Amino acid sequence: MFFNKYNDKKDGVIRGYDIRSPKIKVLAVLIMLVCLFMVCVCLFPAIWVFLASFKDIREFTKNVTIIPDSFDWSRMGQTWKAFKFTKYYYNSFISIIGSTICAVFFNGLLAYGLGVLRPKGYKIALGLVMWSLMIPGVTSIVALFRNINLVGLNKSFIPLWFSFGANAFWVVLFKQFFEEIPKELLEAAKLDGCGVFQIFTRIMLPLSKPIIMVVAIFAVTAAWSDFLLPYLVLNGTDKVTVMVKLFSFKDTPTDAVSVLRASFFAIIPPTIIFAIFQRKITDGAAAGAVKG
Amino acid sequence: MKKGKRRTEGQSGFRKKDLMAWLVMTPSLLLFAFFVWEPLIENIRLSFFSTKMYQVVDFIGLNNYKAVINDVDFMAAFKNTFAYTFWSLLIGFFVPMIIGVLISETVHLKGFFRMAVYFPNIMPSLATIWIWSYFFLPGPTGVLNILFGKLGMEPFEWLNNPAWTIPLIVITLTWKSAGATALIYMANISSISPDLYEAATIDGAGIIQRVRHITAPSIIGIAKTMLILQIISVFQILYEPMIFKNGGPNNASISLMMLMYRYGYRDYNVGKAAALSVMVCIILVILSGIYMKATAKKEEN
Repeated sequence: MFFNKYNDKKDGVIRGYDIRSPKIKVLAVLIMLVCLFMVCVCLFPAIWVFLASFKDIREFTKNVTIIPDSFDWSRMGQTWKAFKFTKYYYNSFISIIGSTICAVFFNGLLAYGLGVLRPKGYKIALGLVMWSLMIPGVTSIVALFRNINLVGLNKSFIPLWFSFGANAFWVVLFKQFFEEIPKELLEAAKLDGCGVFQIFTRIMLPLSKPIIMVVAIFAVTAAWSDFLLPYLVLNGTDKVTVMVKLFSFKDTPTDAVSVLRASFFAIIPPTIIFAIFQRKITDGAAAGAVKG
Repeated sequence: MKKGKRRTEGQSGFRKKDLMAWLVMTPSLLLFAFFVWEPLIENIRLSFFSTKMYQVVDFIGLNNYKAVINDVDFMAAFKNTFAYTFWSLLIGFFVPMIIGVLISETVHLKGFFRMAVYFPNIMPSLATIWIWSYFFLPGPTGVLNILFGKLGMEPFEWLNNPAWTIPLIVITLTWKSAGATALIYMANISSISPDLYEAATIDGAGIIQRVRHITAPSIIGIAKTMLILQIISVFQILYEPMIFKNGGPNNASISLMMLMYRYGYRDYNVGKAAALSVMVCIILVILSGIYMKATAKKEEN
């Protein structure tokens, strides 16, 4: 029965004993319906772009419908080929690999220093990192892009990869996890003659698989969605990523259906990642923000 | 560290340990310096100079700041920031709280609800902006007009109506981020002790009273944090007004960050862009200071 399950309810305002009253029963059903409506609102845009991608431009501009006339996959294939999406996917893939490695390695290393080693004066570095948590990178994008030009790294993936190595939020996530690792393990490794760096690679990283997974998943989706710096650095080269292409539609008139299909191609990989790791992602999102 | 102190402690290996630790952190700190800290300082320096493309030309004092403040677009963007803040407090602040409370009350499909409300968050923002721009198409073929047409309503103007542009942009932002915030509220709500509710029930408290006197006080702390984070994020709105209507109609949705982007990449006036972003940074630093103070107090309690 629908209401029986409420007897085991662990949290929230409505308690197991409330559900006997008919008024509360109505309320519970109403809440359920509101939640189902919210789900529709949240998922509908993604479903719509999938459906709309099957329309051709005539159908899109004339027909007042949501469901397309026919599900013709070859139309998708045409847009994919016309815009050379294989190439963009490949470029995005290269960008993601480097960014994710940098995100895990450099932020983890800094968190190891600030959370575990704590050398003299570490509080200054920690304070600077905490402040950069608050100042969004987009405000200094002009100066950053100028610097990238000055050191001659323009039109290359390298600045994009390394930009993921300086993320204060991920440093905080790593730091919180590292602080929970028992100190005895580190002492034991030190007695065995491990250096500071070896302790990091041989003890810390293998013990930190859960948090590495969380940061890596965040880094993959962030690198996939990132576009302002990639646009400034890569636009006009042969290293254009999916997002850079999507952003460039802003300046080049493109027909609606192509933009929609490109948007659809752009949401496929994150959706797949989310389907696989949804539990880790939602738990990580809640935990990280509460503590951070 | 002083020299004499070093010599005495050097024996115990203390100095070497510190040095090694700093060496381990150096690569990461260099990245932070290059990508975060140096650009911030560079911004301040650039804001006092006239520039030609990316080359610094002359020191011109506060002229860049004067030029920004006297710009008609700046006043529009400045006013709009208040409108953005107002609407995101009205919509963006309460919606995640309500979602969190409601999903906490379900026992069926709870995991699915959690997943579904978080889903917009993982979609690339650029793709969602494009999708929303077709939802808001003013003609009869706009997606929302199709849907509302089924309910017998006339087509709306949506973003073309200057009075609606900012509220609608805030709605799309809320749609994207509310799920993540709701998860945080849910984590807080589920940590409330059931005893509190039971005691309240014995005292005869109904559902509404329990929400008001138990749930609300328990999440108010995290809500304050979320409020400040929300205001900080409102100051950075850039892509939505840029892609939806390019700041229009008639500057109705132009934001401070969008103006900075224009100065920097349309006019190639790096000094002016830097001056504007320094001004935004000062506001953000003040807000962050308030935030840090608020959270520090919370930890003391």
